Amino acid sequence: MAIPQNVTFTLNGKPVQVAVEPRELLIHTLRERLRHTGPHIGCETSHCGACTVDIDAMSVKSCTVLTVQCQGANVLTIEGLERDGHLHALQEAFTQEHALQCGYCTPGMITRAYRLLQENPHPTEQEIRYWMAGNLCRCTGYQNIVKAVQSAAEKLAAQPA
Amino acid sequence: MKVQLERTFAMPAAADVVWRMLQDVEAVASCMPGAKITERVDERHFKGTVSVRVGPATMAFRGDIEVKDLDVAARSLHLLGKGTDSTGTSGASMDLVASVQSSDTGSNLVGKSEVAMSGKAAAFGGRVMNSVADQVLKQFAANFAARVAAVAAAPTESPAPHQAPNRPAAAAPSGSLNGLALLWAIIKDWLRSLFGKKAT
Amino acid sequence: MPDTNVIAREREDKLQGMGCSRKRKEDARFIRGRGSYVDDIQLPGMLFGAMVRSPYAHARIKSINKAKALTVPGVVAVLVADDLKPVNLAWMPTLGGDVQAVLADKKVCFQYQEVAFVVASDRYAAADGAEAVEVEYEELPVLVDPRRAMDRDAPIIREDIADKKEVGHGPRTHPNHIFTWEAGDKAGTDAAFAGAPVTVRQEILNPRVHPCPLETCGCVASFDKPTGQLTVYMTAQAPHLVRTVSSLLSGIAESKIRIVSGDIGGGFGNKVAVYPGYVVAIVASIVTGVPIKWIESRIENLSTTAFARDYHCVGELAADRDGRIRALRFTALGDYGAFNAHVSATKFPAGLFSICTGSYDIPKAYCKVDAVYTNKAPGGVAYRCSLRVTEAIYLIERMIDVLAQNIGVDKAEIRRRNFVKAEQFPYTTALGWTLDSGNYHAALDKVLKAVDYEGLRREQAQKRARGELMGIGISTFTEIVGAGPTKACDILGIGLFDSCEIRVHPTGSVIARLGTMSQGQGHATTYAQIIATELGLPSEDIQIEEGDTDKAPYGAGTWGSRSTPVGGAAAARAARKIKEKARKIAAHLLEVGEGDLEWDVDRFTVKGNPSEVKTMKEICMASHTGNIPAGMEQGLNSVEYYDPPNLTFPFGAYLCVVDIDRFTGETKIRRFYALDDCGTRINPMIIEGQIHGGLTEAFAVAMGQAIPFDENGNHLGNSLLDYFLPTSVEAPHWETDFTVTPSPHHPIGAKGVAESPHVGGIPCFSNAVADAFAHLGVTHMEMPHTSYRVWQQCNALGLNKR
Repeated sequence: MAIPQNVTFTLNGKPVQVAVEPRELLIHTLRERLRHTGPHIGCETSHCGACTVDIDAMSVKSCTVLTVQCQGANVLTIEGLERDGHLHALQEAFTQEHALQCGYCTPGMITRAYRLLQENPHPTEQEIRYWMAGNLCRCTGYQNIVKAVQSAAEKLAAQPA
Repeated sequence: MKVQLERTFAMPAAADVVWRMLQDVEAVASCMPGAKITERVDERHFKGTVSVRVGPATMAFRGDIEVKDLDVAARSLHLLGKGTDSTGTSGASMDLVASVQSSDTGSNLVGKSEVAMSGKAAAFGGRVMNSVADQVLKQFAANFAARVAAVAAAPTESPAPHQAPNRPAAAAPSGSLNGLALLWAIIKDWLRSLFGKKAT
Repeated sequence: MPDTNVIAREREDKLQGMGCSRKRKEDARFIRGRGSYVDDIQLPGMLFGAMVRSPYAHARIKSINKAKALTVPGVVAVLVADDLKPVNLAWMPTLGGDVQAVLADKKVCFQYQEVAFVVASDRYAAADGAEAVEVEYEELPVLVDPRRAMDRDAPIIREDIADKKEVGHGPRTHPNHIFTWEAGDKAGTDAAFAGAPVTVRQEILNPRVHPCPLETCGCVASFDKPTGQLTVYMTAQAPHLVRTVSSLLSGIAESKIRIVSGDIGGGFGNKVAVYPGYVVAIVASIVTGVPIKWIESRIENLSTTAFARDYHCVGELAADRDGRIRALRFTALGDYGAFNAHVSATKFPAGLFSICTGSYDIPKAYCKVDAVYTNKAPGGVAYRCSLRVTEAIYLIERMIDVLAQNIGVDKAEIRRRNFVKAEQFPYTTALGWTLDSGNYHAALDKVLKAVDYEGLRREQAQKRARGELMGIGISTFTEIVGAGPTKACDILGIGLFDSCEIRVHPTGSVIARLGTMSQGQGHATTYAQIIATELGLPSEDIQIEEGDTDKAPYGAGTWGSRSTPVGGAAAARAARKIKEKARKIAAHLLEVGEGDLEWDVDRFTVKGNPSEVKTMKEICMASHTGNIPAGMEQGLNSVEYYDPPNLTFPFGAYLCVVDIDRFTGETKIRRFYALDDCGTRINPMIIEGQIHGGLTEAFAVAMGQAIPFDENGNHLGNSLLDYFLPTSVEAPHWETDFTVTPSPHHPIGAKGVAESPHVGGIPCFSNAVADAFAHLGVTHMEMPHTSYRVWQQCNALGLNKR
């Protein structure tokens, strides 16, 4: 049995500390120790993207990251997108455009789209589809997801800086 | 998932010397990278293990080896091996006929084998099985040839057939099958084959 | 003077009831990551279970050694078949009338079959424990080709039923034979074939695929020793059926079993069956006295849970020279895997395959399905298939194209010549189904006009002259959904009715509970819309609950697009019962006769005296007071158990245009136009979402999915490394359209819709690909149409040479 290591990092703006074995995956730490069940598990080969979170301004599949690698990191999950009771433009857009059905891919999808719009505030449809290719969905066929990202992009662009 | 292989390897000694080495199953096993004979049930049946490492992950196959047939006149050996990986997720079996033939430069070790995989190894390893088997045999042949050369240089030490005592094998050049080194060797071979040079 | 119509419309809009594309009520939690899926559940003292599975497809188990596993830190118990025998749970009944091993008893019959269950403190310890269980196998010869299953020397898979003369569906002729089922008039059909001027025959494969919902199957089983109460949180599309089966299996009274399905991350038919994992988790909970969580991995999901299709078919049509079909003869060899876990009604072991006459008026028909065991995982009915309807419609839609090519008639025209005409409805097919309503000509014409079909054919001719490959695929399908009338439709004897229980509160809001179970279809929104329009109360104030068997009235769950046809009907009728009572109360309050009242969106008015009004909201409060007719009970509550008189038959016309690169085989979907008719449309936005999703799954099946096995029974495509799930890059752009032909027998005229795009989409893609090569004599190409396989066709025809 490996000796648990202490790992501290920031989760949705708040500092957290956990004691984990070196082999523990971030997705399990988030979901089971830290009770953030937004990111989901859909596979074990890092294809589906349901576990997508945002670490130090990058989209990361948390099933492929060891918690010990996150020492000092800034981690953002779907739970951190709503600020002071206000939904992020993406969250609203997903509802308005019917971009979700069962909801299982949604946290990862929105978290990924969040990073996309941070990097590229005016993506074309092709760019959106390319960027979101790491997040699988079985219910929507992606068409409304693309519309939701476009709608959120417009809304964010129209906001005063 | 079956792989069939036929390979011929040049050996630096006369056919008789190589044939004597071939019948020492434990010595042969020691030349197979990652393999070990753990128990000698009788002169035809052995238990053994083969370990494969890829980075931090290890597959440890545990199984039985049977010397099905030994044809002294033809200098040929028929081996059957069968095992399961210790996590219980993969199975493997091998049917091998190895023979020694004289050549102008000494002799040739000719191997013909069929390897079948089950479980995770087949699902994930299937696509690289041919190349992996190729590389494993090449390493084996190199180890075996080195042993043969050492024995040929000191003929009084050649072991008698069937009576391999349970002494530790002479140090083989590579003790375990390192998956990353394997991968690099596979890539090198593939690149070479793209440019027309057939890998031996 | 305000326009009363405008005011009425404003009041109607405020209800957000039937027909409006209101946003979904369930979204609020999902966009915040606050859904409650089974793996989100954590209970005090909960332990984890991991399955030990066989790497071999067919083997005897010589020994199982738990000793090492039990020493792994954190491991609490290891269960094997012998541990389940004392409680009679080593074997369980399937929903197909067979039995299935919960944990392998002396032999394994498919790769990854469950052998042992390790219970530990957390998932890592459980995985360590599973690796340490030592199982000794003796391999047996493997049977993977269903065509060899009935050979004299075929390996016998099911020794446990070796001397059973039947397995739930009639006599069997070989140890690997499950059943033979047939429908129609064989003699009449054979005679029609003998006398027909044109006959066509084609072997058509529906390859084995898997629904692969994004969330895998799992449960948390919690047995409370003091009360004897068993609670199982699980991914169950049919929670009540699971409760009944669990009671029959375990001997625990059904009143002490509670099945709770919370949010489910996609079902698609994968989450109807009872899997061994659920049963061992329940046993482990009973044994340890604490909750046990079992969540399968993706590989386990793809390898062992309900797969779809694997029907090897032969299609034959007999016709006149102008393409009028005289007779249809379809046969199929079904590879059902090692156990028959095929969800099916007792009378329909091959599902609703006999819908294979499709949208056409065919006088004589005969179909037959032979089912066999092989060394593969059990299942067969799943993946948005409406119970084998995907197989049936694939066959007829491919065959009509084969016929069209054979006699040189245009593929749209041949369909027009054979369609059931609008005036023929209700129309009873030669195989016994009564199609409730339809207008196939109008649907097809609308699509052909929208895409300029003539123009596309002209373009195709020009492209062919230049040696380019372009294909046009048409699919005019009729679906059969809404199982179903209890006289014909049952599962393990339980009729496939469904239910809705409504309670109206004094302040005018409502809670309604149903026996169906959403896995993303938006029931919390659509059922609320139905009730809103019936009762005149805003859908925003109508709570819908499903999935908790302690609270919800009995139902058969959600699969086969049955929710709207059966659950929706129950909701409408339950609401109407309440409205009738409300009318009586209104009459009492307004001091008039019931016949003097008129219903106006959300209120009763007195005929000829519109200022005399009682709104539904006022009546809700009044019903809880003493001011109600003498002898009447308080409250506005009702429950309806609905036994549908028939299934419903949604239909559609799809058209697909593909461009194929003759050098690489790469197939681009240039355009896909989908027109669906599901009768009355409850929420157009939700319908469109279902169409997008079903078409994307159809695209996946037609263009890239397969579950291949090698000769040793090794599962070669059981992870997302190999199994094709379209991403946002591959998914085509969908254009949707509709017509409305209500169902005459349904209370609101609605039919199901969510499976139509899958059933109708798959042949549309395949027809397009085959059509691209039609001018070169190709009549059929087997799925999946991956670039490599299409390239192989190009190569065979020499098209990739310059």
